[in-house]
Amino acid sequence: MKDVHSSHLGREIRVAWAIAVKDMRTYYTQPPSIMFGILFPFSLFLSFSIGRNLPLVTQIPILVSQTLFFASSSIGPVVIPIERADQTFDRFLTSPVSLLAILMGKTLGGIIYGAGISIIPVLVGIVFFGSQITNLGALIACFALSSLAFSALGIMFASIPGQTVGQVMMPLNFVRIPLLFISGVFTPIRELPTWMQAVTMLSPLTHTVELARYSSGGETFFGPLVNIAVLTFYAAIFLFMGIRFHTMNQRKE
Amino acid sequence: MGSAIEAINLTKYYDDLLAVDHVNFEVEQGEIFGFLGPNGAGKTTTIRMLTGISRPTEGTATIIGYDIQRRSVSAKEQMGIVPDVSNVYKDLSAWDNLVFTGKLYDMPKALRESRAEELLKMFGLYERRKEKVKGFSRGMKRRICIAMALMNRSHILFLDEPTSGLDVQSVLIIRDLIRKLNQQGLTIFLTTHNIEEASQMCDRVAIINHGKIATIDTPEKLKRTVESLQSVEVAFEATPQNALKELEELPQVSEAVKQGDKFRLFTRDPSSVLASTWNYAQNNNLKLITVNTVGPSLEDVFVKLTGIKPATAEEEPEKMGHGKAQKMTGRKEQQ
Repeated sequence: MKDVHSSHLGREIRVAWAIAVKDMRTYYTQPPSIMFGILFPFSLFLSFSIGRNLPLVTQIPILVSQTLFFASSSIGPVVIPIERADQTFDRFLTSPVSLLAILMGKTLGGIIYGAGISIIPVLVGIVFFGSQITNLGALIACFALSSLAFSALGIMFASIPGQTVGQVMMPLNFVRIPLLFISGVFTPIRELPTWMQAVTMLSPLTHTVELARYSSGGETFFGPLVNIAVLTFYAAIFLFMGIRFHTMNQRKE
Repeated sequence: MGSAIEAINLTKYYDDLLAVDHVNFEVEQGEIFGFLGPNGAGKTTTIRMLTGISRPTEGTATIIGYDIQRRSVSAKEQMGIVPDVSNVYKDLSAWDNLVFTGKLYDMPKALRESRAEELLKMFGLYERRKEKVKGFSRGMKRRICIAMALMNRSHILFLDEPTSGLDVQSVLIIRDLIRKLNQQGLTIFLTTHNIEEASQMCDRVAIINHGKIATIDTPEKLKRTVESLQSVEVAFEATPQNALKELEELPQVSEAVKQGDKFRLFTRDPSSVLASTWNYAQNNNLKLITVNTVGPSLEDVFVKLTGIKPATAEEEPEKMGHGKAQKMTGRKEQQ
């Protein structure tokens, strides 16, 4: 019995990985992925940083957080509507694998994209601007948990039954852009009024920014353990809700 | 031999709309089963429930004995699916499309690569295996799509309009392939609009209309149920302008239909109609170039059971603003 279960689990993992690899090869270089996953966070960062007399080293955690946030959450909303329109998503539904494995594959595609893009500013900071990683564990936790939570957020929004990227990306941006303003990206949390500090606590992006700053020697307002706990909580919630919404969609099919 | 597919009270509601209404049928292993019906009759919804894409509101279906809902993984391992749209990955090569399908079925690397090579050679696409599919013709994409459905050596192949919109050569290749696969023991569930195709290829056909099964039988038995739809087909060297109206007024002709350069005269008594047509030709100095007596076709059965009338097709252009569409059929009350 144990062998049956372990072989079933192994099969689910292999298929999820195959889906993620296929998504990387097929969709990472598609214009909407580049636009919403790379150009969008870089443009926002430049519009924020240009003209402000802040040392670049202190701004790198902000760029890392923004790219983790936008890149990870963009892959699901790009891939799934395109696959619905081409009816290639039906291929997964008719293959001998669970919906959970399919969505895990899609989530993994977002994690690798987000983490892969976001490592670039970290390396640029270290090589060209002398920034340092003082806590590698915090950086790994920041990358792992944030890319998982935000990729799952994208998959959750991709349950909106649209067949174009815009139909999913527009409502997602209604959530993503306001989050930027309540996540201590533009203003340090310590300088905010108390009620606003409570609001920032609720945003998952706050905890990505905090962990990114903490890993490079900066301070964290809520503390790294709270940051990790909140990101873990959001990753679990987004995954659960995403699977639930996609299951509901299949019932309506 | 056991059943390959069994639909038991299969029902699907979309909100208040009843798309499929307690459908029951059984497909034997090794048969080619045709599933016919007009647009919106419930064909695609049924196929989506049988293949596990859509969940039935009521009822269930089994695939080689496995319940598609409760034992979906085992059921899905038994089937390959070719939907009405060639849902291939356009940005992947032909080879990668097949290999990825093998991965979805968790086939070992050596097995999926040897199967992909075998199928690409069988479909005449091996030389182009490294090219991205987006550069392929519609017929080639269709062949890739069928090859993907065959990757896992399934027992049942669902084909939804496999030859729709293809050139003659691709149609012949695909029909020949379906026959060969069936001879090798594969059960084929074929949805098609092409009634002649169903008549030529299927062991049995089901006709679905308004979400309900209207009939299930062999094509020949179905044709025998509508013997009243016998007809005489005639063609004249030169066709007079009002020939359709005059022919439908001949004794024993219940309906006259113009089909290209020929007229089809429906009757219960072909010999009388042959005589009166001959007289009509003599009286009007017309030279008959074709005279055939025609038995009912599967299309006639389909039209009778679904209630589709040629007038329905004529109404469409009028709705679209082409009100001057020429009337091509005549009907009169049964004598």
